[in-house]
Amino acid sequence: MIATSNYLILAAVLFCMGMLGVLIRRNALVVFMCIELMLNAANLTFLAFARERGDATGHISAFFIIAVAAAEAAVGLAIVISVFRARGTVNIEEIQTMKH
Amino acid sequence: MSAELVLFWVFAAAIVASAGGVIIARNAIASAMSLVACFFFLAGIYVLLWAHTIAALQVLVYAGAIMVLFLFVIMLLSLTESGPVAQLSPSRILGAVGTAGLLAALVGALLRLPKTLPTWVSDTAQVQRFGTIKEVGQVMYTQWLFPFEAVSLLLLVAIVGAVVVAKPRI
Amino acid sequence: MESPLVPYLPILAVLLLAGLMAMAIPALTTRLGPRSVNPIKSESFECGNPTLGTARQRFAVKFYVVALLFIVFDVEAVFLYPWAVNFRALGWFGYGTMLMFASTLVMGLVYIWKKGALEWES
Repeated sequence: MIATSNYLILAAVLFCMGMLGVLIRRNALVVFMCIELMLNAANLTFLAFARERGDATGHISAFFIIAVAAAEAAVGLAIVISVFRARGTVNIEEIQTMKH
Repeated sequence: MSAELVLFWVFAAAIVASAGGVIIARNAIASAMSLVACFFFLAGIYVLLWAHTIAALQVLVYAGAIMVLFLFVIMLLSLTESGPVAQLSPSRILGAVGTAGLLAALVGALLRLPKTLPTWVSDTAQVQRFGTIKEVGQVMYTQWLFPFEAVSLLLLVAIVGAVVVAKPRI
Repeated sequence: MESPLVPYLPILAVLLLAGLMAMAIPALTTRLGPRSVNPIKSESFECGNPTLGTARQRFAVKFYVVALLFIVFDVEAVFLYPWAVNFRALGWFGYGTMLMFASTLVMGLVYIWKKGALEWES
């Protein structure tokens, strides 16, 4: 068995990589993928603590996070498609106004 | 070094490498494929954490469904050409510095955690039961019923929202 | 005590074997096979017809809507697994909760059906 802190450090590294991607990338789809990375880091933390405490509640949380990620991907990608249709780009630096 | 530790380091290194690929790749398809690899290695880590149900879900839902949707959208928008090389801008530098600071703070704090192993693992029956689909179902459909029903509303909103937003003419 | 990870050993073996095969077969074919390159052989499809356009074409949006429906109902199906495993223990109450869950999503299905999002128009 491996100590829980190893998993927590891995989750912290993964979260920071996702955050770095969100902050430096300009392609809306890649920004989305980096948000998925951050959600997965949260999942990893939940599961690490679930095993630390021997409690299945962390698994339930991870279950719901996956459902939320699926809904978020569906709606978010729909928004990306409609923005692309209206502006012809997915570069978030060129999409600065909410009104069209 | 036990086999478990070797597997942990292999998976951890692969996760960090493929997550780096997601950020660095200039082609959106390369980013998406890198993310699929990252999800598979994460499923391996979940198995090491005895989260059998979530590991299967990770492959089924994340690698199987969500990433297919991402690839569909990339192909739909024809984003296969590589973008221009990223310019160094003040906001990017600020973002990188801020992230490095957060990472240093988190890792610094987590390294001070005691490396003790949990005590409940001496209960063999509980270890065998832990993380199985039966136990997850028992907890979800008794203690977590309301969030479960709320998820159905969330999915309904996702269906309606995405159809309304994505469909050109309804 | 037997570790809970022991049942995963066959999966690990399959993964290692698959990785080995995936590396060995291309390596062996490029090393051992004879090589002759000409313009006709390097075409994408060797069927006699000239290639039309590129493989990196844009998909129609109807594919996207189908993929979207797949993702939402995939998540619903995933919620059915832990319920089905505990079906007898949960009894009629569990049956009722799942009925509520499923009927909410059927409402979504009816909505997209009426809106024509499932139609395969050109």
